[in-house]
Amino acid sequence: MSRLILVAVLILPLPLRAQARPAADTMPRDTTPPAAYFGVTEYQLARQKLELDMQRGGFSVYIIADMEGLAGAVRNATEMRPVSRGGSPQHERFRQELTDEINSVIAGARTAGATQFIVNEGHGGTLFRNVLVDQLDPEAILIRGYPKPIVMSTGMNPMVDAMMIVGAHANAGSLGIISHNFAFDYFAINEKVLNEAGIAAFIGGEMGVPMALASGDDVLVAETREMLGPLETVTVKTAFSRSAAAVMPPATVHRQLRQAAARAVRRVKAGELRPLSMEKPYRVRFCLRKSFSEDTWVTETVGRIKGIDLDARRGCFGYTSESAEAVGNLLNEIEWTVLKP
Amino acid sequence: MRSLALAALCLTSLVQAQTPPASSAPYRDKQIPREAGFRVFIVPDMEGMASAVDSREIIAGNEGERFKDLTSPDYWDRFRLLLTQEVNATIRGARLAGARSFVVNEGHGGNLFANVLPWELDSSAILVRGFPKPLVMVTGIDSSFGTVMFTGAHANAGSPGVLAHNFAFDSFTVNGKVLNEVGINALIAGELGVSVSLVSGDDVLIAETQRMLPNGFVAIVTKRAVGRNAAITYSPVKVRRMLQTGAAEAVRRERRGDFKPFTLERPYRIEFTLRHSYPDSLIRGVATLPEFKLEKTGDRAYRYVTDSARQMGWLLDAIEELVIR
Repeated sequence: MSRLILVAVLILPLPLRAQARPAADTMPRDTTPPAAYFGVTEYQLARQKLELDMQRGGFSVYIIADMEGLAGAVRNATEMRPVSRGGSPQHERFRQELTDEINSVIAGARTAGATQFIVNEGHGGTLFRNVLVDQLDPEAILIRGYPKPIVMSTGMNPMVDAMMIVGAHANAGSLGIISHNFAFDYFAINEKVLNEAGIAAFIGGEMGVPMALASGDDVLVAETREMLGPLETVTVKTAFSRSAAAVMPPATVHRQLRQAAARAVRRVKAGELRPLSMEKPYRVRFCLRKSFSEDTWVTETVGRIKGIDLDARRGCFGYTSESAEAVGNLLNEIEWTVLKP
Repeated sequence: MRSLALAALCLTSLVQAQTPPASSAPYRDKQIPREAGFRVFIVPDMEGMASAVDSREIIAGNEGERFKDLTSPDYWDRFRLLLTQEVNATIRGARLAGARSFVVNEGHGGNLFANVLPWELDSSAILVRGFPKPLVMVTGIDSSFGTVMFTGAHANAGSPGVLAHNFAFDSFTVNGKVLNEVGINALIAGELGVSVSLVSGDDVLIAETQRMLPNGFVAIVTKRAVGRNAAITYSPVKVRRMLQTGAAEAVRRERRGDFKPFTLERPYRIEFTLRHSYPDSLIRGVATLPEFKLEKTGDRAYRYVTDSARQMGWLLDAIEELVIR
C-alpha cells in the first residue's frame, strides 16, 4: 500500500499548497512532449541557431560572463544588481567593468589566432543583459536575455574550440567573495565536487571543448584549478570575507586577462588543455540551499522531475544520466522551480 | 515579484542579503600579495578630508537602518571622487620620493567601506575594500610595509573636531593612555615595526595625535574646526598639493629612519566604553562575544587584556560587525 502511495506521489501532480506559487507561467516553454529528457528541445533549438553562425574552420572562443568575480566587486546587494531590482547605481559601473574584462579576453585571444567570439551572459544582475552592447567588441556574438536554456551555457556546441569564464565566483560554502553555486549548497558528479565554472566545463567537456581560462578571486582560482587542472587563471582579488577583498587595479587585471587569454588559446591549439571528461553514466548528487530545501513545495516539485531519485536526507537528490546536456537541462528545471515564488 | 526571485539565479539568496554579513574571522591569516619596492600602506578616512563637514557628504545610506536618510548626492557625485583624488595625491608624492608599492585600505565605513572609486584610483594601488575585514582599517598590514599614512582622519570621541568619533566608543584607552582611531591603528602597525609617517585631518585631530604619537610625523591640517559640523576649509586643490608634498617628505624621512613605530608595554590593558548613544539592542552582543573574554567594569564599560595588538584589532572588528547594521 505504501509503495502505491509512493508511486502515486511520484507520478501524480500534487495539489497546490496554501503558500504555493502563482499558477501562470509566462516564461516561454516548449509544450511538445520532451524527446528523451526534460527541456532538451529548447536547448537544441538554441544550439541549432547558434550553429548557423559558427565559423567552419578558424578558432572559436565561447566566453561566459559572470560578475561576482570582477575586479573591484565585493558586495552583492549594491554592486551586482541594478536599482530596479533592489540594487544600487554602483552596478552600472560594474557593467562597464564586465564589458572591459570581456573585451580584454577577446583582444588577447585574437592575438593568438582566435577568429570567432561568442559571449554568453551568465549573471542575473540586469537580468542577463549586463554587458554594454555598444562597448562590446563589434565582432562578438552576444547571447543575452532571460529565460534562455541552460542559462550559463546557452548554445554551447562542439564547434567551439575553447570555453572561458570571466568574473566567476567560488563555490557555495567556500570562503570567497559572494560565493555560491546556483541554488545548491552542494553539487557533485561521480563524487567530483563542481562549482559553476566546473559545471560549465562539464557541459562543454562532453562536446570535447576545454575550459581554458577562469578569472575571479583567489579562492575561485584555487578551487577551479583543483577541479579542472592547470587551466589559465587570473586572480583579480584576495578575499578577506565574503564581502571584502584586496582588489587588484582594474588596468592590471585587463592586461593580465589579455595575456592569459592569448596563452589559453595557444595551449588549447597545442593540445595542452583537455576537456573535462567524466565516466558515464553521470551520477549527479546535489543538495538544495537550506532556504529552498526547507520549502516542502520546492523539494516535492524537484522530486517530481523525471529521473530524480529522492535522497534519504531532505533537500538532497540524485540524478543519473548519459548526457551532460540533460544535466544542464536539469539545472534549468531546478532553477525555474526554485525561482517560481 | 518574479523578477526579484530571478535575482537569486546566480546570486546569493535574498534571505542572505538581509542577514548580517558572515564574519571575517576565518580570513585572519590572509595576506595581500607581496610586491617589490618600498611599500606604503595608506588608510584614507573621510571626516578629516578636505571640505567635509556634514554626515550627508560621507554616508551612502545603505550602511544600516539608522543611516538611511543620512546621505545626499554630494556623497555619490562629489566626495567619493574627492577622496580618491586625495589618495592619488598622497600616492604621487610618495612615489616621487621612491615608494613603489601601494596598498590603500578603506578606513571609512561609508557604503560599507567602499568609498574610493576603484577605476579612478592610481592604477598601481591595491585597494582593500568591503566589510567585514579582519583588522578593519589596517587589514592586510604586515612587516613588509615601510610606512603607514592616515589621511582624512578625525578627532577622538568627545573632542571638538569635525565629526569627531572613535569607532563604537565614547572612550578608549590602552594602559591608561587615551587613543583615537589613528592611535589604535598605529599600535597594531607598530607591533609589526611599521611606523606612522603622515597624518592629515583637521587641526583638532592633528594636535591630539601629535600628543599621542610624538614621533614627528608629517602633519597636514586640511581645515580648522569651528564646531562639529563647521570648519574653515582649504580648497581640495590646495589640500591635494599639501598631501603630495607632505607624502614625499614623509617617505624621504621614513627611509632615513626618522620615525619610530608606536609601541606600548605589554600586556595591553584595554579599557573602553561603548557609545551611550547606541540603543541596547545594538550592543547587546558585546558582553557575550564568545572569543573575547571581556571584563565588565561599569555601565557599557569593559576591560580586555591581551599581549597582541592584532588580537585587539580582531576584537574591534567583532564589535564593528555587531554595530554596523
